[in-house]
Amino acid sequence: MVLDPAHGGTDPGARGALGIRESDLVLDLAAQVRRALEASGFQVIQTRAGNDNPSFDDRSTVANAQRGAVFVTLHISSTGLPGTARVYVAADNSTGAAGTLLSWDRAQAPYATLSKKLGDAVQGLLAQRFKGSPNSARTASIRQLRTTAAPAIAVEISSVSVQDRSELDKMMPGVADAIARGVAEFRPSYAAGPETGAQP
Amino acid sequence: MSEGWRRWLLGGLCVAVVVGAIYFPALRKKLRSSAKTTAPSEEQARRELTQPTVASSSDMPTKAKMFWASDEDETALAPVTVELALSRDPSLRAKQVLNTLLAGPVDSDLRTLPPDAALLAFYILPDGTGVADFSEAFATSTPSGILSEQLAVDSIARTLEANVPQVRRLKILVHGQEVETMAGHVDLTQFFPVSTAAAPAAVPAKR
Repeated sequence: MVLDPAHGGTDPGARGALGIRESDLVLDLAAQVRRALEASGFQVIQTRAGNDNPSFDDRSTVANAQRGAVFVTLHISSTGLPGTARVYVAADNSTGAAGTLLSWDRAQAPYATLSKKLGDAVQGLLAQRFKGSPNSARTASIRQLRTTAAPAIAVEISSVSVQDRSELDKMMPGVADAIARGVAEFRPSYAAGPETGAQP
Repeated sequence: MSEGWRRWLLGGLCVAVVVGAIYFPALRKKLRSSAKTTAPSEEQARRELTQPTVASSSDMPTKAKMFWASDEDETALAPVTVELALSRDPSLRAKQVLNTLLAGPVDSDLRTLPPDAALLAFYILPDGTGVADFSEAFATSTPSGILSEQLAVDSIARTLEANVPQVRRLKILVHGQEVETMAGHVDLTQFFPVSTAAAPAAVPAKR
């Protein structure tokens, strides 16, 4: 499992009026997701553990260097109904036929079906816990996912506009549990999948 | 100067001080309120300058569909019909609808694009690619997040799809340059699909 706490360093990501910074919150969220995944028997690598800001490509490289990795990038939004959570998978807007070699810029394309399956599993669990969240994963043109050669999803919780950071802190255990259970649910289909044949 | 004149002068000065003490706070308040009302006017003037002057006798009042955020679900878009005198020229027509989209709906909470962003240019390539060049505020003032950034791009793509069938895909530039992301999430190095319906008659330049 590769966990990606988004932003960091000079890039704080979304910022709330009360000084809440996405880059700080996602580090805390990643720590909780990591614990939940490790408790389920997964090995976990993070793209960052401190206040640094690796490039999009460097973050993708962490996942692309692993055999059979699953990639989850973690975000807090500026907007949306507070207390809800959304899962996104990459929209493939690129054109032209894929060749025999996998282009770095289209690295996610062969994993689209697996990513959707993983995304729907995690989103379904989030919808049960957080009322007002959608029931299935949406597609979005997310830069981070495009260059990731693995089943990959973005999880974004709403939002930095809350009056008190504790409202987001309260969501984190539920989000972490939904991700860990969703990945565990997804695991058999990835292990048997024809697209990679690798195991997470 | 006689004693009487001195008294009159002193009295006059006292009256002036009292009147000043009463009048100056009111004057200050008036000036502040005047400054507030001037700011939107400047914004309006700037927007008018950036808008193309396309109204001509051939422009027909058209019911244009604008896609802003839905008042029932702020994470989704909803069409709003606006009557506009739209140009027959696809590029000018695209500029008109995008400037209307930028101007925002009546309920400003439902806007999808930042109020200080401006459309600098719009042109259509022969393959149906619509290139929209926005000012830097498009990237710097859009709230950071997958939800808000994707909603902004979708509102542009769906508004073009509904009103300018010649545009088949969209490329977004910021101040004439390709940028990696909108506000940290949505990928602006890619093309966004606008219309899957072929519109070959309108795409090639007819000379």
